[in-house]
Amino acid sequence: MKLPAFLESRQAKDSDLFLHSLFLAGESVYLAGYTSLIDLPQSIVMLRQLALNAAGAGKALFDRDSGVGTPMREPSEQEVLDALAAGDALICSQSGDRCLRLIPVGRTLSRALESPTTENVLRGAISAFNEDLDTNVGLIKKHLPSDTLRIRSYSLGQSQRRKTVLLYAEGKIREQLLQSIVQKLETLPDVDIPDLQALSDFFGFPKWALITRYNTSELPQEAAFALEHGKAVLLLDRFPFALVLPSLLSDMFVSQNDRNFPAIIMFSFRLLRVLGVLVNVLLPGLYVALVSVNPEVLRIEIALSIAGSREGVPYPALVETLLLLLILELTLESAIRLPTTIGPTITMVGGIILGQAVVQAKLVSNVLIIILAASTIANFTVIGFQNATALRLGKYLLLVLSAMFGVLGLFVGIVVICAYIGHVNTFGVPYLSRWKAGRRYG
Amino acid sequence: MDKSRQVIVMFWITHIGLIFFLYPTEIIGSLTAGHWCAVLLGFLIHISMLAVYTKGLSQCAPLNVIDLFQGVGRVFAFAMLLPLAIYFIMIMIITIRAYAEIVTVIFLGNTPLWTIMLLFLAVSTFICLLGIESIFRTGMLVALLFFPFLILVVVLSFQNTDWHYMLPLMDRDAATFAYTLRRPFLKSLFAFVGGFLFLGFIPPHIPFQGRKIVLASLGLIPFFLVSVYVPLLTFGENTASKFPFPFIMAVDTVDVSWLMFDRVTMFFMISMLCFVILFLSLGMWVTLLMIKRGIPVLKDPTACLLLAAVVYSVCLLVPNWSAVERLMWWNTLPRYYAAFIIPLAVFALGARRRRMEAVRP
Repeated sequence: MKLPAFLESRQAKDSDLFLHSLFLAGESVYLAGYTSLIDLPQSIVMLRQLALNAAGAGKALFDRDSGVGTPMREPSEQEVLDALAAGDALICSQSGDRCLRLIPVGRTLSRALESPTTENVLRGAISAFNEDLDTNVGLIKKHLPSDTLRIRSYSLGQSQRRKTVLLYAEGKIREQLLQSIVQKLETLPDVDIPDLQALSDFFGFPKWALITRYNTSELPQEAAFALEHGKAVLLLDRFPFALVLPSLLSDMFVSQNDRNFPAIIMFSFRLLRVLGVLVNVLLPGLYVALVSVNPEVLRIEIALSIAGSREGVPYPALVETLLLLLILELTLESAIRLPTTIGPTITMVGGIILGQAVVQAKLVSNVLIIILAASTIANFTVIGFQNATALRLGKYLLLVLSAMFGVLGLFVGIVVICAYIGHVNTFGVPYLSRWKAGRRYG
Repeated sequence: MDKSRQVIVMFWITHIGLIFFLYPTEIIGSLTAGHWCAVLLGFLIHISMLAVYTKGLSQCAPLNVIDLFQGVGRVFAFAMLLPLAIYFIMIMIITIRAYAEIVTVIFLGNTPLWTIMLLFLAVSTFICLLGIESIFRTGMLVALLFFPFLILVVVLSFQNTDWHYMLPLMDRDAATFAYTLRRPFLKSLFAFVGGFLFLGFIPPHIPFQGRKIVLASLGLIPFFLVSVYVPLLTFGENTASKFPFPFIMAVDTVDVSWLMFDRVTMFFMISMLCFVILFLSLGMWVTLLMIKRGIPVLKDPTACLLLAAVVYSVCLLVPNWSAVERLMWWNTLPRYYAAFIIPLAVFALGARRRRMEAVRP
């Protein structure tokens, strides 16, 4: 393959590719790379310096030990394209028979370190992961300055190579867990891993699972804490979250940040989160069960006042609850997509709709609004957005069962949910395990 | 790694689920005074059989009951396990039918019986399909969620008790053990027997210590006594014996002014029902283990659904409560088989194995 000719033909298809001819150490060479990834003037300055150094040491530019770059011997087209796509620069001689691959001065294409956007920290380190893989690894290393930390990197996918880094703490992680993860990663799949769903398919996790098998976190300190406690952390390039394997029920309630508070406050926070989960999942179902099937369970005064507030509401409690829940879910979903400038407006409008107006129009009862508001607030007491969404789905099961069987349906629904989360496991580690470093529980 | 804790919790759950509904009726029906004597006698039988059973199991440690019996011979295993399988299927039918009836009587008057039975069966089939480890873990979680309720209600249930009803502590009837041959007492033993047989079927990757289970079963004594004595102390013997579910009636009399709920009992009963569902799924799992060994063609989801379908259709055929009672009485014989012959056989086989192992090296 004639390299300069190939690059020129490529340039016709890809205008981002530059082919710059220059003199280095008395030789006329081509410098090739992507404009969008390489800072050209800076790179040329660096190259000249390197070439001067090589000449000073009496080495030819394309020698293996010239210190300029790695020689590529008769590279295939794919190798050349891979090198360019990875952001490296190529230097090739005018005749095209010799070629060097080198790391140029790149453009900064990542954000600076910022505070987390989905997980707020009250007390603790505020820096969060960003899209740059090396930055993320560095952040974890800063948080876990220990010689037990091991890092293995893989490049997954066929058409898009995605760099993936597996981190674990030697001696802390359970050998069996590490083996299963490494075994999976070393099969180096042909499929691309553009998102977490693909990754989860690749790991062989069930497709229709409600509970994600990895816990995601934006905070380096959470990742470091997980590593120290014998879990594995997976970092994907261009993905500003650490994936912690395995995920456990306790991830919903326990955060490393809590440990920056006095122990008793830490425990009350955790208790509060457990209560939050119960309130969120149970309250809507309980309302439907008590209003439509088993009103005799309530004290007569409360039963009467609820019945009074429902006066004029034309449909059964289940429909009423589902309607309002739908609006709430819509609000939650739209709030994610709203530009920050419009956000307050929608909040206000939503507040009015979900507040007095809908009650005065006799579309839903007062009590229901209180209950659903409490339930929605409680939903977000748990740690991690992915956990909160899983809970959101759980309450619909309870809602339907409660409408059919009253309080019995509600409780049976709890048993079903318990059975489901009792069944979930990640690489053989049950979701319900109590996790201690170096110790295993069933 | 020892998983005794999970096994103990499951053991408690299955028993507590069985205690509070039918057991007090039978005990109060079987004698007029000195009920503690009947309770303790039943418990003595329970714990001695449990000890024999777990001792036998620990002696032939990695094997479960099926493997143990099959080691003697296929025909022997078949002959021993067929009645046991029948007993388990019977108990599933009776439990589902009886508890569905209880549910309609107590709080779901308008809901048709078949839907409730379907609910019980569907949920227990689902849990059973998830496998034994999931059953145990579910048990832990359910216990964690529902036990506080349970303890609260048990404590509250003493609100209206009059301790004078405790007397007389004993009469001639109780002292001579004349009640032991009466029908209600014989039937009452179901609460002691059904729950512990599953221990023999637990696969070796869930190790447990038999001794711990026996000790843990002592913790059930208060529940047995409370279930009988709370209605007795609340209503007196004469009135209590008239109720179909005396404990539920007694708890219904409790009035807690600081709670927003009028019928605390409802939550209590439903937690019990959830325990019963777990008991059902455990029973189903054990039965399936035997069925799959007997008919190897049947594989898991099919076998499970088939069993559920059979149980459900028989449940539908049971017309009324007296038929349920008749079924319970018919099940007494398989029950004694399951309660006495199986543990003793396991113990004997365990001892034989131990002896053979002692001779061999």
